[in-house]
Amino acid sequence: MAELSSKKSIEDLEKQLLKKNKDLNEKYLELETILDLTNTINSLDDLNDLFLNVLTLSSSIINSSKGLVLLKNEISNIFDPVSVFNIEESKIKKQIFNIRSGFLKTLNQKKKAYIISENDNFNHRLFESSYVLISPVIYNKNLVGAIILFDKETRKGVIDFESNDIKLLEAVSIQTSIAYQNVKLLESLKKSNKLNENIMSSITTGVIEINLFGEIEFINKEAIRLIKKDEEEVIGNHSFIIFEKNESVINLIQKVETEQERVFENEFSLKSGKKNISVNISCSPVFDDKKIFSGIVIAIDDLSKINKVKSTFKKYVSKNIVDKLLESEDSLNLGGTESEITILFSDIRGFTSMSEKLSPTQIVKLLNKYFKSMIDVVFKFNGTLDKIVGDELMVLYGVPLKSEDDTNNAIKTAIQMFKSLDKFNQRIIKDGFKPFEIGIGINKGKAVSGNIGSDQQMNYTVIGDTINLGARLCSHAKSGQILISNSVKGVISDKYKFKSIPAIQVKGKSKPIEVWSYMH
Amino acid sequence: MSDTIKNVEEKNGVIIISTSGYFNNVAGDDVLDVFNEKVESGSKNFLIDMNDSKVVNSIGVSILIEIIEKLQEIDGKMAFTNLAGIVEKTFNIMGITKYCEIYDSVDSGVEKLS
Repeated sequence: MAELSSKKSIEDLEKQLLKKNKDLNEKYLELETILDLTNTINSLDDLNDLFLNVLTLSSSIINSSKGLVLLKNEISNIFDPVSVFNIEESKIKKQIFNIRSGFLKTLNQKKKAYIISENDNFNHRLFESSYVLISPVIYNKNLVGAIILFDKETRKGVIDFESNDIKLLEAVSIQTSIAYQNVKLLESLKKSNKLNENIMSSITTGVIEINLFGEIEFINKEAIRLIKKDEEEVIGNHSFIIFEKNESVINLIQKVETEQERVFENEFSLKSGKKNISVNISCSPVFDDKKIFSGIVIAIDDLSKINKVKSTFKKYVSKNIVDKLLESEDSLNLGGTESEITILFSDIRGFTSMSEKLSPTQIVKLLNKYFKSMIDVVFKFNGTLDKIVGDELMVLYGVPLKSEDDTNNAIKTAIQMFKSLDKFNQRIIKDGFKPFEIGIGINKGKAVSGNIGSDQQMNYTVIGDTINLGARLCSHAKSGQILISNSVKGVISDKYKFKSIPAIQVKGKSKPIEVWSYMH
Repeated sequence: MSDTIKNVEEKNGVIIISTSGYFNNVAGDDVLDVFNEKVESGSKNFLIDMNDSKVVNSIGVSILIEIIEKLQEIDGKMAFTNLAGIVEKTFNIMGITKYCEIYDSVDSGVEKLS
């Protein structure tokens, strides 16, 4: 009898031990699952993955029969189901979850996990459930989501959740809130990086970022174009290797590293593939929050485009005007606009009969010398050389850059042209040629200026009545004469002496035009 | 067939039960029903294919332990295949893997059990 009783006690003890062992294993599983969950959710950067993992793992450790995650819609403020577990999505698709009422209102007030009671007015029928455990997802102290688990399973059917389950889900939801915050931060970082990338790729300055170890961390499209290297080759590589053939760039980097001050070089020669290009380059030290040197940013501005503009424009205007135009883009008006201009025409008197006695080579040589001395004068007084037609020069003042002295400058040009012509004539007389004789006409008025022509050829010029009258004045001018219109006479300085001459009849004008002639 | 049991078939004397979805109370009971029915017909070797069950809970696991206990009484064998990492870890912690083998595929499971 005693033996039987002892055997039963041992069996009971064995059962108790097995039960304890099972309970311990379950606790161990809970801990392991929470650890797994922490590791998993902190490595996720997608909210949908995050919530699905949270839901399945928390359902698994708490033994809930199903679950749901609601997330606040940032636009409507309504909470939408973003993850469901063991629930038919179609059943809850049309359900509105509002923070202003029901269980979400309570959750917003409590901001911690709780078991939903009858007072919470929860729609159990919707989820075909009897028991509900809910926990918040918090971001910046606000309720942004809810993890909801339904019906705790046991071998004998579903039961209500227990205090231990509340603790477990709360631990999960705290981890979830942190992970949510990380995902949001990552999203905002990606957005700001994207914005930076867009800005960097659209600017015309080449930008290169070098870290503390001298490795290139960032390079934008323009810098890639300028140094003629592949992005893959540059990123992560040491700047000294990348600029191996640009020793002067390495010198700049070293200077900034040593002195930790910005260095700027104007018209710097940069090796771009096989060519050398002219750039403006600046190397600036970068400091972190604690003002500790953390790298260098190089900014490169390609001057070759600017130089191209300069050399193109230099043919038409003085260097002075080109520089002014490049300094201030607003002042440059190349579209079709009407403005007040002064126009000067000059041509050679008797050029046709003179040219008949010369060989074509002689004509070209003489004309080139003549125009060179005349154009030097034009540029000296900031005129814009519009065109040379045969032996005629057409010069503009007031476009593309306006100045108060435009008309006076036209007069100064005309006077100086005669002085230069004298010197030019002295030279050619010595060579046995006949002296050149010129006449000049100047008019002032409104004209339309801009790039005129076709895709094949586009020229900056002016059109209008003012131009026509300027040309007529020039053709009326006798050798040595400067003829100006009333509009010019009205604005020029009194120091330039002009006398009125008989009005002239010009084509297209019903009345004769008043004309003034310069008194040499 | 239920929502939780995708397929039941016999190969070389091995009953292959393929589960689907959350392996919880409901799925566990469904597997238990199939098991009881097959044991009554004389089957002793079972392979549970959990390819479509990526989440288990401890109730589902405790039902599997019940089945294993019953199988030990009749000298039968049970094995699992296509386990998700997290499921295999749960089985290890709950001690199931002490009594059952885990195979990479249905074919290798059938080969070893038959």
